[in-house]
Amino acid sequence: MADHEIKPSICPYCKKEFDSIDAMKQHVFKAHRGSDPPSPEGDIRLNINGNDYYLSVEPRWTLYDVIHDRLGLTGSKQFCDRGACGSCTVIMDGKAVLSCMILAIECDGKAIETVEGIAEKNHPLIESYVKHHAMQCGYCTPGFVTTSKALLDRNIHPTENEIKEELSGNLCRCGTYPQHTIAVLETAEKLRTGKADGAEKAQGDG
Amino acid sequence: MQDNLRRDPFPLKTYKHIGERGPRRLDGYHKASGRADYTMDVQLPGMLYMRFLNSPFPHAKIKTMDTREAETFPGVRYVLRYDNPELPERASMGKLTGIYGDPPPLSGIAHFEGEPMGAAVVAVSEEIAEDALELIRVEWEERPFNLDVLTAMEKGAPLSYPEMYPDSNYWNNGLFDEMTQGNVKKGFKQSEKIIEFEFNRRSHTWIGPERPCGVFRWKGDVAEVWVKQQRPHLVKKNLSTWYGGVPMNKIQLHCLYQGASFGGWVQVPWNMGPLYCAGFVSKKTGRPVKYTFTRREDFYGESMDEGVYRFKVGFNMDGTILAVECSSICANQIFPVFNAVNHIRESTRVPHLYGKIFSIWINKGPAVPTRCEQLPATLSLTAVFSRVAAECGLDPVEVALKNDGFEGHGKDRFEKEKKGLGFPAIDSLKECVEKGKAAIDWDDKWHRPGTKTLPNGRMHGMGFTWTNEWDDSLGSAEIAIRIERNDGTASILSMGCDNGVEAENTYCMIAADELGLRLEDVSYNPQLDPGFFRMSPDSSTNLSVNGWAIRHASRILKQRILEAAVAPTAKTQRGSMRPAFPDCKPEDLDIVDSVIVKKADPSEGISVADFVREAGQSGPVTSTESGGFRWAFTEPLFAFSYHVQMGSYNPENPRPHLTRQAHFLEVEVDTDTGEIFVVKTVNVNDVGKAINPMSCEGQQYGGTIMGLSRGKFEEMIYDPVTGVMLNGNLLDYKIATTLDVEGPIDTILVESGMGYGPYGSVGIGEDVGTVMTGLLGPAVFNAIGVWIDDHPITPEKVLKALGKI
Repeated sequence: MADHEIKPSICPYCKKEFDSIDAMKQHVFKAHRGSDPPSPEGDIRLNINGNDYYLSVEPRWTLYDVIHDRLGLTGSKQFCDRGACGSCTVIMDGKAVLSCMILAIECDGKAIETVEGIAEKNHPLIESYVKHHAMQCGYCTPGFVTTSKALLDRNIHPTENEIKEELSGNLCRCGTYPQHTIAVLETAEKLRTGKADGAEKAQGDG
Repeated sequence: MQDNLRRDPFPLKTYKHIGERGPRRLDGYHKASGRADYTMDVQLPGMLYMRFLNSPFPHAKIKTMDTREAETFPGVRYVLRYDNPELPERASMGKLTGIYGDPPPLSGIAHFEGEPMGAAVVAVSEEIAEDALELIRVEWEERPFNLDVLTAMEKGAPLSYPEMYPDSNYWNNGLFDEMTQGNVKKGFKQSEKIIEFEFNRRSHTWIGPERPCGVFRWKGDVAEVWVKQQRPHLVKKNLSTWYGGVPMNKIQLHCLYQGASFGGWVQVPWNMGPLYCAGFVSKKTGRPVKYTFTRREDFYGESMDEGVYRFKVGFNMDGTILAVECSSICANQIFPVFNAVNHIRESTRVPHLYGKIFSIWINKGPAVPTRCEQLPATLSLTAVFSRVAAECGLDPVEVALKNDGFEGHGKDRFEKEKKGLGFPAIDSLKECVEKGKAAIDWDDKWHRPGTKTLPNGRMHGMGFTWTNEWDDSLGSAEIAIRIERNDGTASILSMGCDNGVEAENTYCMIAADELGLRLEDVSYNPQLDPGFFRMSPDSSTNLSVNGWAIRHASRILKQRILEAAVAPTAKTQRGSMRPAFPDCKPEDLDIVDSVIVKKADPSEGISVADFVREAGQSGPVTSTESGGFRWAFTEPLFAFSYHVQMGSYNPENPRPHLTRQAHFLEVEVDTDTGEIFVVKTVNVNDVGKAINPMSCEGQQYGGTIMGLSRGKFEEMIYDPVTGVMLNGNLLDYKIATTLDVEGPIDTILVESGMGYGPYGSVGIGEDVGTVMTGLLGPAVFNAIGVWIDDHPITPEKVLKALGKI
């Protein structure tokens, strides 16, 4: 069969073969009406900030490439180019990871949280960061927010040293480090005392 | 035009927002939530990506270049060659190119390893562009090179930049800068003691978190451009001369949030070359083109303090310094303004000074002001003062106070000068050191060098330095303010680079207090291009120029609002309506909390929002007049102003630097490993008036961390055989992390009101990062009792100084 000829159509749900696309469509309409969309073969599924994305990715694309360039979640930043700066940090299955050091195809089925997702949930970290100027040029800030969020998710009583240790993989050239410790300690206090609920909603002025 | 050489004659009577702690950052939510857009984030439909060839040699010329394979690589849309006949030989590239001459947009000759040059590949993705670059075959003419200033000075040394400097590696074939005050020979004769010493500063760079990048899109004859640039006005100026000329009113700039570059990238003389190339290819392909540099390409130039500094200092044993002579040999410095003894001249009564700088061309990137050009001068002041204090066995704070002054004049003349300018007799240095000493417990903790070992086995050291505050340089700004229809909010209009110093909120605070508006009713987006430009954080000034322009514009606008409040409203062909305040004169009114009120009875008022009224259905001002009904509306309420500052660093400095800064450092040195631990830092800055205190503090702790990072770690290492930079990445070139400035940083602000800026303010952005860079030297000396004259002070150098390796 020449390459340009149309091959028998295959049902994306049950893999049954048909002679024509129209026949396949008829079948889908009858047999699979109301079903969830099928996952196209070869695609990966990423659950990002609670939403499923089915993506066809090149083997060499990093998770950062997909999140930043393909999905337009530009909060993840690239400061270095080799896992030295922490600016591209996202939370994957509860752990802070460097999205520029992971291939996207390895992340099939993973649940990922980016800084945008943290902000959308009005996490009190965001307001603490704003209040304490834990940013200057801001390029590295999302990486700090995601790293801090991952820390607070597993430890609501972090000490100053634990925070410094946790954030030591995030580079900030403007030298905002002291403010991050203050912001994270305050957030932990808010989370412990429940003050983060309701009254402490982040102001979404973006 | 405000005469700002003297004390501010027209201050505000009361401040509401100015000086307030904690107004919400304008950029805060954007940056914390990932919603802040940077040029690096820009993606446009159909956009192509441009990457540059890098020279593998430190000095080489392209003999032949074969780009055919790259041109046919799938996904490649254009390969721009340096020898493209449509590229001009030279193009206007920026403020500093006068020294180099205008460069070509894409060079065929490399003067340092890694230089982006020769060819630019434009493809549908960055990866494809990168892959295609590998397919370019170049036959190079390798040339001999220099990496070290001392060997480059020798007779018979190869020429580093023969095209520009065909006779020798000396800038201008001789002395770069020379400065004389008094007579050093006389000073040395009068001195009880004379010492000589030398120190080295190794090359370091800015590390801009956002890599250099830009996006160029032609929309017919309109050039739409996104820039990572501290000086967007220069992009527009230069771009207007490119491609045979582009009218200024057909250039639309976007200057999004900027991932900082601390002056470095923007000062590189040919930093606009890649943008020229992007625009060229955008025109050829009809597609938007984004150029990006790699992280390694951002290690493209260096700070202008790399070099060797040789001193001879004469003084009396009571700490009075009589003469300082300095010969410094610096690498690739690009403009001749900053002598190494400059801060000693500006800030002290030392009568006899002589300083000379040789700028020697070597095959590394250009050395440019990188927070900032005062590095050679502040490193020198710190070295001289701490040496003299040590030689005299005196507390360095005492030596500072003894020598404070300006241009060879002592305290009496200094006080007279302040008085003549209308300032009260405030001793800025004394105030700074008293506050700093108390905060760090100096009197208890300072000790003779090398005399204190702590229970943990480490040696304990205290360091101190000081100088003037210089962030009120010459500059200019054009700024407008508009009152918006519908809600009466105010928008500040002027494009500038927002690289995070929180200047925009500061300007809003000034406008709010001057206009009588609530702070939340004033906003400023400097990313828009309204045709007005301000000082971005650049040229050592920002607030002290822009603040005046905002204040002028606010005062004009307030007067306009009050005049409109007593004038007829709704003026059309059919007549007009009664004024909002028919029985008042403008001077009877005021604006308080965004409400226009009668001074005599502030309870009678109308909000600015109600005064300007809503936009109409038909056009922005009013809806159709019908049935006898008409809207009340005001004329557009808009004002603009400008400020041209003849501040410090004018060729003829109009007045001495009056404000001071003092910094204190406590360290511990592990004598087994050579590690230095920073236990506590205290920064005291007399900022004249802290308009936005949290923003000032950000520059203090931020500058401390950057400065100590440079002092502890930062150096670009080159292979002496190949001239290749070995650590052009963030794994091998270390910058400080959260763990590297171990102790607290106390930030103290002094407000003497003696700056050039509005309300007596002086900027702070460059100061701390620059001054702190050299403070590790005296602190480590105080700990181990041995001078380490090679910066950065790494553990290896500490162990060598201790004789352990």
